[in-house]
Parts: sequence; C-alpha cells; structure tokens
Amino acid sequence: MTTSPSEHDIHAYVDGRLDGERREAVERYLARHPERAAEVRAWQHDAQRLRAALAGAQTLPDNHTLQPAAIRRQRRQRRVQRLSLAAAAVLCLGIGGVGGWRMRGATTAAPMADAMEAYRLVALDRAARPDVVPQRAGDMQAWLDAHFEHAARLPDLSGAGFHAVGGRLFATDQGAAAMVLYEDAAGHAISFYVRPPGPRNHLLPTGRRVDGGLVAQYWSGQGYNYAMVSRDDGVDAQVAAEARRQSI
Amino acid sequence: MSDHAFDDQLSELLPRLRRFALWLTRDLSSADDLVQSTMERALSTQAAKREDGDLRAWLFRILYRQFLDARRRSQRYAWLLGRLRQDDEPQWPSAERELLAQSALAAFEHLTPEQRSLLLWVTVEGLSYQQVADILDVPIGTVMSRLSRARQAMRRHGEGEQPAPSLRILK
Repeated sequence: MTTSPSEHDIHAYVDGRLDGERREAVERYLARHPERAAEVRAWQHDAQRLRAALAGAQTLPDNHTLQPAAIRRQRRQRRVQRLSLAAAAVLCLGIGGVGGWRMRGATTAAPMADAMEAYRLVALDRAARPDVVPQRAGDMQAWLDAHFEHAARLPDLSGAGFHAVGGRLFATDQGAAAMVLYEDAAGHAISFYVRPPGPRNHLLPTGRRVDGGLVAQYWSGQGYNYAMVSRDDGVDAQVAAEARRQSI
Repeated sequence: MSDHAFDDQLSELLPRLRRFALWLTRDLSSADDLVQSTMERALSTQAAKREDGDLRAWLFRILYRQFLDARRRSQRYAWLLGRLRQDDEPQWPSAERELLAQSALAAFEHLTPEQRSLLLWVTVEGLSYQQVADILDVPIGTVMSRLSRARQAMRRHGEGEQPAPSLRILK
C-alpha cells in the first residue's frame, strides 16, 4: 500500500519538477488512483494551455515612459522641480526682504539678448563648454546642418585669422538655438548665433545693439534670426560686420 | 551591479511585468500605471539591496504588493460610493477577451487575482514554489494548498462544467 504523496509532490509532478524516487512514487500512486490521475492530467493540460496562450506574449503597444531611462529622467525632473520651487521660495523671501526688486524686463525684450548671453557664457565666463569641437574643416557646418535645415552658411572668417573652435546648442523659448564660436591666435572670440524666429515668426530687421561691452550685429534670412557677437572695441566688431555682410 | 546593467535587466523584464499587470488589472492603462510605480520603486531601491535573489521574483513581489494596495484603496473608495459589486465584474479589454475565447481559457477569468498570479508565476514564469512563498509572504505549504485550489477552480470553471451561480457567491 503506497501512502498518498504530499500536495507538494503532486504539484511538482504536474509542473515537471519532480525527479527520481519521488517521481516514481507519485506515478505508482496515480496508477492506483485513476480518479486522482485524471485530475493531475487535467491540471497538466490546463498548464499547457495557459503557457500556449501566454507564450505568444500578446504584443502590447510600446510604452516608452516605462523604460528605466525614462523613469530615471522623470525622477530627476521632479527633483529639479522641487529644487527650483525651493529656490523660488527663497527668492520670494529675498524680494520681500528687499522690498521692491525690479525685473530687468528691458534685457529680455532686447533683440538677440540671448545671443549675447550665450557669448558671455561660453567665450567670457567659460562656464559652458562647447557641445562639439570640430576635428576637420566641414565639421561645424555639418553639425549646424544637422540641427538647422537650410540655415545660412557659416561665415568664413579665416581671412581675418578667426577659426571655428566649437559649437553649442542653447534652449530658447522659441526652440533650440545654436552658437558657433570663432577664435583667433590672440584668443579673441566672435560668435555666430542662429535661432528660430518663434511662433509669431518674428524675423529681425538688420541692426546692431551694444550691451555691456559686447555688440550684437543681427539679421534674418531663410526663416531664422542670426547674430554675430563680439567685443565692441577694436577690429573684432569689424570682422563680425564683414561676416554679416557676406551672409546677407 | 551598475545602474546601466540594472536598467538593461529591468528593460528586458518589462514585457513580462506588463503582461502580469495586465492579467491582474484587466486594463492596459491601469496595468502600465502599476508597472510604472513598480519601476519607480525598483529604481529607488539601494543598489546593495537588489543583489540577492532573483530579480524577476523581486519585481513580481513589488508589483503584486502595489496591486493589492491599490485595490484596497479603490475598494474602500468603491464602498464609499456603494458600488463594490459592480467593481467585481470582470472587464477584460477586448483583445484579451478574444484571446481568452480563442484559447478556451475563459476559466482563467473566473479566478481571483491571487489564483491568477499563482498560476502565472508557477506555470508560465516558472518561479519556484519557494519564490512564490516569498512573494506572498506565506509558508510554502500554504502555497501548495492555494495552488491546489487555483487548479481546482480552473477545472471547475473550464471544460464544459458550467459554474453554478452559487459557487461565485460562496467563493
């Protein structure tokens, strides 16, 4: 008389996880208990059907927000938001303390203020590093073309001793802007800046603006706004003006 | 394990997690919500704590816990609104309904979430009984008896035997 196998062994048998003596014991037991054997066979059959139905793993529509990288990005953004909220709170306290801090609204409305800011950041403060550094002659143009279709050609300043040394993308309210920085042997810097005109398609007339020792000479064409930015003194501004004359 | 390697493994397990969540919630957007909170939990866990054990079983455990928590919350909510019964009715998305019909797996629909989970873990995912016991936080003997009940329920609802209405209520 065989003792009935444990519940564990019955399931392990169904799931094909039982070997050796214990498997044989279950088989001997089932041979003597046809009713139980029928149930076990039915369980095996159910398991197979379940596997068959699910093995094809219904292809679910892609959801990229579930990818680990996307989740990490969201977590970072939430952290940044919390930080900037905290920073805003501190700023409000500061403003409250000073009593009547005036926004310098004029700067944001001034044409190509962002181009001059970009120049300061990369050329003067060296606070932002270029995204790309050209290795070969056509590299900068190729990089620019990759981001701005049909934009004006990069000006060639080699006649004046200036060569492109790097490019960087910036975020503006109207979309991505790009700056290409030129330098000469003396370390003087001139930048070429291109940006989209924005939703109202605000193209700039040709003009120039001086601010804080820098001059932005701007124009528009091919659906973008451009600026050459340089120091306001010496020949740099003349080189920049010549570059603009070539581009228009 | 580096973050990068960990991300790769998570990414690989993503389809299984979504499938499991879908079988639990019966609704793709709630399933993806569930997977999302599972991923967040997994990614916010200290790297040192992830090392031991099977990553898949660990993720299933997180997901299943989140599902139970969410269900408890929504049942409290449903109770407040007085529509608890209505919530109990199966509402499979049409694609799944079709799959069920095709594969004659309609019986699966009548199982409780825990029974569905048990069968998926054991027969489809091939988790060990011990892993399942760890996920459910019960002794392995309890897993075996619940597995018996799940398999019997699957039988009862399948293969021509019409489920008596009383069974649904008494279950």
